Amino acid sequence: MSAVAVEESAPVQTPLHDRGARAVLALARFEARRLLLSIPVVIAFVAYVAWIVWRTRDSWDGNPVLQDADRATQSMPMLVGLAVLLCAARAVVRSERHGTEPHFATLVLQPWRRTAAHALSVVPAALLTAVCVAGQFGWEALKPGAVGHGSPAELAVGPLTVLAFGTLGVLLGRLTMSAFAAPLLVVVLLFVFVLGTGPSEASGLSWLAPAVPVIGPDSLPSDLLGRPAAWHALYLAGAALCIAFLAMAVAGGRGAFVRAGLALSLAAAVTGGVLQARGVTPSPELTAAREHASTDPDLTCAEHGGSTYCALPEWAPRTGAWAEVVDRVQAVAGGSAHDRPLVVRQRIDARYGPGTDASIPASTEPHRVTVGTAWGGNRVPEFSSAVAAVLVAGTEAAGSELCDGRMVTVMWLSLSWQDDPMDALRRVRLDDSVTGSAIVLSPTDPLSMTEGQTDVVRRLLENPPAGTGARVKKHWAELTAPGVTTARVAELLGVPGPKKADSCED
Amino acid sequence: MTPTVSASGLSLHYGRTRALDDVSLRLTPGVTGLLGPNGAGKTTLLRVLATAVPADRGAFTVLGHDPGTSRGRQEVRRRLGYLPQTPGFHPDFTAFEFVDYVAILKELADRRERHREVRRVLEEVDLGDVRGRRIKKLSGGMRQRVALAAALVGDPGFLVLDEPTVGLDPEQRMRFRELIAEAGEGRTVLLSTHQTEDVAMLCHRVIVMAAGAVRFDGTPAELTARAAGRVWSSTEKDPGAKAGWRTGTGSFRNVGDPPPGAEPAAPTLEDGYLLVLDDAGTEVAA
Repeated sequence: MSAVAVEESAPVQTPLHDRGARAVLALARFEARRLLLSIPVVIAFVAYVAWIVWRTRDSWDGNPVLQDADRATQSMPMLVGLAVLLCAARAVVRSERHGTEPHFATLVLQPWRRTAAHALSVVPAALLTAVCVAGQFGWEALKPGAVGHGSPAELAVGPLTVLAFGTLGVLLGRLTMSAFAAPLLVVVLLFVFVLGTGPSEASGLSWLAPAVPVIGPDSLPSDLLGRPAAWHALYLAGAALCIAFLAMAVAGGRGAFVRAGLALSLAAAVTGGVLQARGVTPSPELTAAREHASTDPDLTCAEHGGSTYCALPEWAPRTGAWAEVVDRVQAVAGGSAHDRPLVVRQRIDARYGPGTDASIPASTEPHRVTVGTAWGGNRVPEFSSAVAAVLVAGTEAAGSELCDGRMVTVMWLSLSWQDDPMDALRRVRLDDSVTGSAIVLSPTDPLSMTEGQTDVVRRLLENPPAGTGARVKKHWAELTAPGVTTARVAELLGVPGPKKADSCED
Repeated sequence: MTPTVSASGLSLHYGRTRALDDVSLRLTPGVTGLLGPNGAGKTTLLRVLATAVPADRGAFTVLGHDPGTSRGRQEVRRRLGYLPQTPGFHPDFTAFEFVDYVAILKELADRRERHREVRRVLEEVDLGDVRGRRIKKLSGGMRQRVALAAALVGDPGFLVLDEPTVGLDPEQRMRFRELIAEAGEGRTVLLSTHQTEDVAMLCHRVIVMAAGAVRFDGTPAELTARAAGRVWSSTEKDPGAKAGWRTGTGSFRNVGDPPPGAEPAAPTLEDGYLLVLDDAGTEVAA
């Protein structure tokens, strides 16, 4: 072999190169753009936004409790996360699939830095999810009936879920270098999410899942929720970062940056995971606070008209809406009930934490009405029925035991002033019926209507309320007298009575 | 004067196969052709010089940087443009996106400067008009030019081209020769090829490899001169010739050791190449 004499000097190149970190960011931006424009991600975001619009328009009947509304943002981002997982994994294996890896291996940016760029490329999807979460929660918060406080940690779960799924896709791509692994995992995860019945919220294991959005029928004050939301957010953030650094390590990153990042993120994930599991069991202080709130809550009271309205501090803005209902019911009542001062007190059963459907016993205190933490929709005629029952029977407990014609008076007082009384009748009954006997819901113990009472009430609601209202006021004493029959009430109010004698045992 | 590339004693084995055998060379600016039969070690040598695979033994530098160290390898890669023998593409990328992607992997981070550079190289390879077209919709020749643009992006000082004209039609090949000639102005290009015409037309220097070793290293004229007096014409194929074939005029062109009284013919670079291979003990087929 021979060596050729040098004929001319080699030119010194002045490259346009910039170095490492900036190139990683440039590649991340390139990959992020492709990721956000990929069909699965676009479809997922369109579905997500459509769901937000559909869900939030009528959620909580326009009266959201924000410490529950924050958790409601956690489920759908998982759909986005799965799409991001799929596309991030596909992007990672792209060079292997199309045979460009041997070429790219000779380029400056090392595989672990390319992997870092892929991991960073899922951040914009997570940020876009954060915008959607903020939009959904902001929409709820701006509703006039909104009360309570959202938790930033609960709100962070959705975006962090997308981040964790995205980095999982990057790791999966790096580990398998196969285009089939990610779709397979997505199918498995969908199967788990849709059909899986994991441990309950009370189990620390359930908090290993990205989102634990358990929402019960009744809301609790935010300080009584006892959800380890902040630790869960730390766990998710740590897990997402840990997966990302692991992917970099798999791709050959062995430097101090990757090792330190892996160690710190693993520590964060483990710390968050352990502390969230411990946080699932209520502390003695929380248990005591829940017991106190259930038996003798600290309420904020306000006067509206002649009545007193006592609410948990976060629900204080809602007393005006309650007063409006009380005023409407009392406006059509007769006798002393027309201006009798009532005490409306908010009551909860917080002993079992959020997500449980605890029943509240009827109050035996005279002229006292219970109201729950939910409002709007069916809760309005339910509360209205409770107010009417107390006006007629004297106490909630007595109202729940009504078994005569007074029930007709109660239901007419409760429903006649509503925009669509017949629809309100249907909604307030447990079986959504307007015929036959039925249970009538109320914030505490339910009331009951016989078939005959239902027929009479329906006939009354079909008549103009003004005429009936005058008769109610005129015959108030007899209409509210214990033992009055349904037939007599119908007669006094000018409608046909029941075709047959009815009884509460129907 | 410092050569762009200086290699000494490069050896590489794949199992028991000796892919490179003590290869030493020095490359200077201009286009250097790398000729050799299949399995001669050309692609292996290019892959070693492109830092795709490390040599078992030996060392080399590119523009003064030693790829034997991690930092040196990065510096070499910053100065390298590589067009592999069978370049892969991302079919859903546009030509612009693909070259842009490669530019990022070459650490061209500033978006505006990078895009200007990508547009420049795409114009240079005559793809400016189709830069927004997806690669899967480009012809084979266009794709090859995309690969060349990807190699050229960032203005590398050392360009490694592994059989870039394979599969191209004559017109495309001519266009590619122009591009390679332009690329060789002011930078060092190592061009592996089976086409002796490419070498004759483009290269200021030629290296012939066989069985993993360098068998010739000189100018094209020197390679042609190897065949001086060893090419002759005859009416019948000469049984003593190393290679012989009937030409378009009906006479036979023979290469080897001519018999007394043979009618000499003007040698070509291909004749010299065949004789170098023959001297190296490689079977010559013609």
